[in-house]
Amino acid sequence: MNRQPRALLSVLLLAVAVFVGYRMFYSAPADDSTSTAIVISDRPTSGGTLTSSLRSEPRSFNRLVENRIPAEMYAMLTGAKLVRVNRATLEPEPALAEKWSISADNKTYTLTLREGLAWSDGAPFTSADVLFTFRVIYDPKVASPLASLFTIDGRPIVVTAPDPRTVVLTLPTTFGPGIALLDNLHLAAKHKYEAAYEAGTFARAMSVDTPPADLVVLGPFKLSNYAPGQRLVFDRNPRYWRKDVAGIQLPYLDQVVLEIVPDQNAELLRLQSGQLDTLQQQVRPEDLATLRPLEQKGQLRIVEAGVSTDPDAFFFNLRGSRWEKDPRREWITKKEFRQAISHAVDREAYANTVFLGAGVPIWGPITPGNRNWFDPNVRRYGHSVERAKELLAGIGLTNRDADEWLEDANGTEARFSTIAFRGNTSVERGAQLLRDELQKVGVRVDVVPLEQGEVIQRMFASDFESIFFSVAVTSLDPAMNSDFWLSSGSGHFWNIGQKTPATDWERRIDELMQTVMASADPGERKKAFDAVQDVFAEHLPALYFVAPRLYLGINAKVGGLSPAILRPQLLWNIDSMTIQAPR
Amino acid sequence: MDRSASHDQRSRVIRRAGLFLVALFGVALIAPILAPYQPGEAFRDFINAPPMRPHLSGLTPSFHPLVLADRLESRFETDVTRSVPSPWVSQDAATPVFLMGADDFGRDIFSRLLYGARTSLGLALVAMLGAVAIGATAGAWAGYQGGWMDDAIMRTADFVLVLPVIYVVVVLRAVLPLVLPASTVFLLVTGIFILVGWPFVAKGVRAIVAGERSREYVQAAESLGAGRWRILMVHLIPACGGHLLVQATLLLPAFILAEATLSFIGLGFPDPIASWGTMLSGAANYNSVARFPWTLAPAVAIFIVVLATNLIASPRERH
Amino acid sequence: MGRYLARRIAFACVLVFVVSSAALLLTRLAPGDFAAVEGFELNSEQREQLRARYALDQSFATQYLSWLSGAVRFDFGQSLLYSRPVGELIGERALNTAVLATAALLIATLVGVPLGIYSGTTSGIARALVKSVSTIGLSIPPLIGSLLLVFIAARTGWFPAGGMTSTAGVDVPWAQWVADLARHLPMPALALAIPLAATLEKLQSESIASASHERFVTASRARGVTVSRSILRHAWPASLRPVLGLYGLMIGSLFSGSFAVEVVTSWPGLGRLMFDALKARDLFLVMGCAAAGAFFLAAGTLVADLLLAWTDPRVTTRDRA
Repeated sequence: MNRQPRALLSVLLLAVAVFVGYRMFYSAPADDSTSTAIVISDRPTSGGTLTSSLRSEPRSFNRLVENRIPAEMYAMLTGAKLVRVNRATLEPEPALAEKWSISADNKTYTLTLREGLAWSDGAPFTSADVLFTFRVIYDPKVASPLASLFTIDGRPIVVTAPDPRTVVLTLPTTFGPGIALLDNLHLAAKHKYEAAYEAGTFARAMSVDTPPADLVVLGPFKLSNYAPGQRLVFDRNPRYWRKDVAGIQLPYLDQVVLEIVPDQNAELLRLQSGQLDTLQQQVRPEDLATLRPLEQKGQLRIVEAGVSTDPDAFFFNLRGSRWEKDPRREWITKKEFRQAISHAVDREAYANTVFLGAGVPIWGPITPGNRNWFDPNVRRYGHSVERAKELLAGIGLTNRDADEWLEDANGTEARFSTIAFRGNTSVERGAQLLRDELQKVGVRVDVVPLEQGEVIQRMFASDFESIFFSVAVTSLDPAMNSDFWLSSGSGHFWNIGQKTPATDWERRIDELMQTVMASADPGERKKAFDAVQDVFAEHLPALYFVAPRLYLGINAKVGGLSPAILRPQLLWNIDSMTIQAPR
Repeated sequence: MDRSASHDQRSRVIRRAGLFLVALFGVALIAPILAPYQPGEAFRDFINAPPMRPHLSGLTPSFHPLVLADRLESRFETDVTRSVPSPWVSQDAATPVFLMGADDFGRDIFSRLLYGARTSLGLALVAMLGAVAIGATAGAWAGYQGGWMDDAIMRTADFVLVLPVIYVVVVLRAVLPLVLPASTVFLLVTGIFILVGWPFVAKGVRAIVAGERSREYVQAAESLGAGRWRILMVHLIPACGGHLLVQATLLLPAFILAEATLSFIGLGFPDPIASWGTMLSGAANYNSVARFPWTLAPAVAIFIVVLATNLIASPRERH
Repeated sequence: MGRYLARRIAFACVLVFVVSSAALLLTRLAPGDFAAVEGFELNSEQREQLRARYALDQSFATQYLSWLSGAVRFDFGQSLLYSRPVGELIGERALNTAVLATAALLIATLVGVPLGIYSGTTSGIARALVKSVSTIGLSIPPLIGSLLLVFIAARTGWFPAGGMTSTAGVDVPWAQWVADLARHLPMPALALAIPLAATLEKLQSESIASASHERFVTASRARGVTVSRSILRHAWPASLRPVLGLYGLMIGSLFSGSFAVEVVTSWPGLGRLMFDALKARDLFLVMGCAAAGAFFLAAGTLVADLLLAWTDPRVTTRDRA
């Protein structure tokens, strides 16, 4: 057979394939919309296994040394605290400490531990463990990231243990958050780990190689199996201190499994097929539509947790030394430039494009999701291209030639680069939207997506022009985030770790933050913090555009839900969660 | 089989290969004219919009506009009460016409496909020319000189040939700094492709040159005192013309695919540059593929290019 | 034969050596290193401590020598990214890639070779059909094929759209695990196998077509052997030479193809591991992956060459052309 018929046959085959493909794609996937109402009993049922996901591998189980998400999750499942902040009510509540009293000068807290508390291996939990924990935290050789949280006004807390059930904490000055500070205290067992500490190997105790039987904990679950690259399995800890109101020993669940699924798409697939009951974090807005049919069938529940409290931030490098030789130094660090950008961005379009409409416009780092600290009267920059152009003209940027971009008096183009986290959809898309919006006022932006590690490295080395950043907040109280607000802080990302404030307004914020951190009067703290937000909104060291609404996807069989805004939104309450049918 | 028939066969293949390359180049060039929208033009209210089918109103095709029904679900409804003309005739920002749907930024896929053809094909063509040039020179030199130079060049070629191409390309690109503008990316990636592509050409050229070296016309040129370079450039390399053209046609889809893979994993072009690879990387998650399959249009485009290449350069029949 | 074998093994060793050296060199040349990437919360002093702890502050030569000495004992160091021994990680992932590659090779052989035999020895519409399908298959590279198959999986639900297993919970009976794997394997394996099967078909078809014209085949038919027997017992073995030669080349393309397939279908294999290692500048993992990749490549090529030498003694005695 010669060529022509063969070529024809190829084309024919192709046509058939195209036709079949066309039919397949134009026909929507079969949607079974017969839903049966599933009645979920609110009576707690005991037993069962809950499966959630982890997106990265744990590096260590030692929460005093490691603070990345997997270690955080491990601590949430296996840890208990002296005083716990209820993530739903945001109020401190007694946990291992059954009561406490605060001295008249607000500097001394005396806590009384419950009776009969024990570690998972049977050894009693006493105030000596608390003393030991603080010793480890403050030891510079251990270099614990928790040290800065418990260092107030540059000085450590003095901890004494007059008897096995009493702990006395003496703070160097009054501290705004008060007893809620102890929500960050992760306890370490003295009887088990003191030897390692004395030998200088505490950082390696409780590592991923430690046999689970040697990981001694206080919380509702303890690790029973770690299959690297696959999953962590936690079994119920029979020595957990807590009982529910009816006197039933908590936790209700028998087992919790954390599957390690690095890929977000794979995670979603597993949630859909029921292999995962819930996810490490919230569901992306674009995935909601995929989950809706399952919600209608009664297989899943989609819960709105509220407005996110850690929105993406866009900021310039405000360290003067970086711009010394740069021709743009006349205008790029001026506040009017940032204010113009804030005016230029259409926040509604941002919410629509980046979050598919599931977001609220914001103008500062504190969002409506942080209901105790949000100030609705903070200055807003309405969407106005004209006002933006006015401000830019005010600092010398006008269109002096034939192209669409603005130039300054020396002819330097209004152009800068912004680094964005690669792989983080909201950040990448936000940066691209910023670029498109600024094009309309004549400012040119080059978006450079980089791996997370590299972005952070450049941030610390001050080797960047601007960054589009994603942060995770661990506490809603600004006093606990002093690293960000104080000019000397290590999280003050537009100008990290200054010895003295570089500008007047940063100095003003430092002063106001002293009140926020030190005052014991909530009214006074709020007023001072409102003033901080005002200064922030005026000078815009970082710009915020939209805070997404958080949606959580959970298997309908799971009960005892108490959704919170802070991560982990559901598992913080793991000891009271139930699952309807045991697996 | 007699020589004249196989010669005919070969020149037919060569002719077709040449025409194909010219056609591709042409498409790439006219992309800005053919594409109704700019590659970066984003319609914010039409994210993940489906393709629109034309209907005939009178003699000219026109389209029923899409209306956003649910933003979160990216669900659209067709407004059959209205008609808008095709986007080459006139455009209205409120009612864009998407021949192949829109991507997750609301950009027209058809336009991006055409501009992407320009980027991807352009890169592949330039890389192919470079690989052919360097491969031909190296192979001809090896074949002509013989001896240790022949050995060295051929062993290097063998070594490169054995390595898995994509691995090498990914590693080389990954260790280069990622803070690069699109034009630098173009040059760098082209360089990497030339580096992995030249051995394919070199081997064949070397074999041909080694064979031709002993022919009379070469010896005649040598005895007339022609320099080595002259002999190579004027006589030997042109003798490989047919082989070079076929190799060029085979290298092209390999490079297109390599660029697509690189951009797909994020080591290629940055946004908003439209290339077939960057378009695929946004489309390759389960969600997109299941609900918005039109975003996979570049995959079909790549398939068509590769198919065309295979149809042209396929071996002759025997019966 | 012995000399040939020795030469091939020497080549394999050179390959591994060069590839791992190149990997080390390239990773060191790259801006940033693991401590900078991962130790971002630390100040510069603590970062130096981190570097010392992971032995990242040594010179190129020292690092290479210590890695080499470890490698000989199969100790490839500790992965900085996963805090596990590199050897363990690579072992797991390489096994996954091997499973995928073997399945793909098997499918390609079982489909491509018989079709090639058929199309090379018959004529008519069926043959033209096979040839057309083969051309189309050749035009579906693994990246495109895997995307297409994910689409089909998403629409029809015939097989899972990604991953290797979906076993939840702790210990699953072995039979169930295999069944689960069998559900996840077809899609990525098919994506890899399609172009390979097409290549095999074309080559087999061509070589058996020429083999069936050889005199000894005609002779067998003259003896009264049926057509099909003469093809299978006489023509086919003679046609195997170029086909077996192709297997050696296919190893390399399997590696290449598996990279794209692993990324698209979330198959936890070597390609994906190497990419993650590169991103994180995990020095030891990159070197381990590169060495492992080179090793498997060399081993695969060696096996294929041995097969070829076994069927064609001319290969071992021929001078290096």
